[in-house]
Amino acid sequence: MFGFVERAITQVGTTTVRIAREVGGIVVLAFDVLRALFPPTLDGRELVKNLYKMGNQSVPIVALTAFFAGGLMLVQSAPFVEKLQAHALAGWAAGYAVLREIGPILIALMFSGRVGANNTAELGTMTVTEQLDGLRALAIDPIRYLIVPRVVAMVVMLLALTVIGDLVALVGAAITAKAVVGIEFSTFIHSVVDNLKPYDFLHGIYKSMVFGASIALTSCYFGVTVRGGAVGVGRAVNAAVVAAAVSVMLLDFFMTYWLG
Amino acid sequence: MIELAAVRKRFGRHAVLDGIDLQVPTGARLGIIGPAASGKSVLLKLVCGLLRPDAGQVMIDGTDITERSEEGLAATRARIGFLFQNYALFDFMTVGDNVAFPLARRGGLAEDEIARRVSARLRAVGLAGNEAKMPAELSGGMKKRVGIARATIAHPEIVIYDEPTAGLDPVTTSKVYDLLRADQETTGATVIAVSSDVEALCRFVDTVAFLYQGKIRYQGAAQTLTDAPDPVVRQFVRGDLEGPLEG
Ligand SMILES: Nc1ncnc2c1ncn2[C@@H]1O[C@H](COP(=O)(O)OP(=O)(O)O)[C@@H](O)[C@H]1O
Ligand SMILES: [Mg+2]
Repeated sequence: MFGFVERAITQVGTTTVRIAREVGGIVVLAFDVLRALFPPTLDGRELVKNLYKMGNQSVPIVALTAFFAGGLMLVQSAPFVEKLQAHALAGWAAGYAVLREIGPILIALMFSGRVGANNTAELGTMTVTEQLDGLRALAIDPIRYLIVPRVVAMVVMLLALTVIGDLVALVGAAITAKAVVGIEFSTFIHSVVDNLKPYDFLHGIYKSMVFGASIALTSCYFGVTVRGGAVGVGRAVNAAVVAAAVSVMLLDFFMTYWLG
Repeated sequence: MIELAAVRKRFGRHAVLDGIDLQVPTGARLGIIGPAASGKSVLLKLVCGLLRPDAGQVMIDGTDITERSEEGLAATRARIGFLFQNYALFDFMTVGDNVAFPLARRGGLAEDEIARRVSARLRAVGLAGNEAKMPAELSGGMKKRVGIARATIAHPEIVIYDEPTAGLDPVTTSKVYDLLRADQETTGATVIAVSSDVEALCRFVDTVAFLYQGKIRYQGAAQTLTDAPDPVVRQFVRGDLEGPLEG
């Protein structure tokens, strides 16, 4: 009995220390990246290359999920729309949820699983094959050369994907509204435009910028700290995706409060 | 002259290097041997400032590099060629670009001159005509040799080889060491080489240091290594199963 309690406390203690160390490492990396951004000596070619690759990886999958997520809003609310005869509010309800919450968070999680995981694996492989040390030995700063373009590309790309995803989700909602509840497109569009403020869209955009930075830093951090060969890379990818998901959820909670 | 004085390095609770004193005169060839995970690679990285010691000094030609910033180390690193144990070939560049990289970084050479030197260097390591391949298309032994080509192409004053012949067959091993020796004789570079192939290494270097339990346990001429007075060294070098050596 006592042994169990002791073990549990030890477990909690070591886990806390580990999480603190990792959060600390990510914060340090964030400062290194910020410092490297002033003055902005960004490697333009690396940035464009990364943007292109990340966009290719994620646009189709984001569009697909966003479409159905938007549709889902309508499927879930259809019974109430019918019961309350609230056809004129269906677009507003779906739009509000999509722009402020579902869009940013769903796309961020998709992005983390696709682009973030891939980024961790790439940087992790480079780390275990000593390529980062190799760059330093040739007097090239891996933060400037490898990390900064990836972080910038990920923030920009998640922002763009969120805008695209928001739009696609609204289209999905409108089509589902017509198909399931019989709401005309014009009614749906009026409902969205008349009731939603630009700030509802911005609220989600602000979130997605913070999510992007958080996913980027997390995935880079776990990549460059890989130890223990190919097995270590696998573990790091897993840890990065979990950590990014947790941080996105926590940040979402607090930002929803602060942004109002 | 490369000089390490009372160098300590630990990772977490594990003291990997526990008071290293080592001197490598300019133009000398030093071999470092020791059991797996004894800190050989860590020692090499300390010499070029890729890792920082927890205590002690690393001096290159009389100046301590341990206090230098990453930017401040650039000039020192430009004088060093480094072959990494895990190749460190940039997987986003072709073999040719990898080998050309130190020259291109240094600047001052026309592109066709760089290309000429790259192909000469690749020929020297037995990989002529592989410029356009990507590192992922190469075997481990080929990557090693590309790494050697990259480490030596700019004729650095100091060359550090971490396991230059791991994964190579005996004939290629001999060829590689012949090449390293010929290179060293023409450039007069200071060389530090780590290898698990003690016999082949001893034919290349003049002195050998034995790293064991965080310290330089023994240092002496390469020719007489098998007759070293220390039984631990003798056992390691001869590969005996019985003896005082601890796993
Ligand atoms: N960056 C690092 N972080 C933590 N431990 C490390 C690091 N680099 C090396 N080590 C540890 O230091 C020890 C010596 O490693 P190394 O120098 O690679 O050994 P070897 O003599 O085989 O080259 C090993 O136990 C290794 O796990
Ligand atoms: Mg090693």
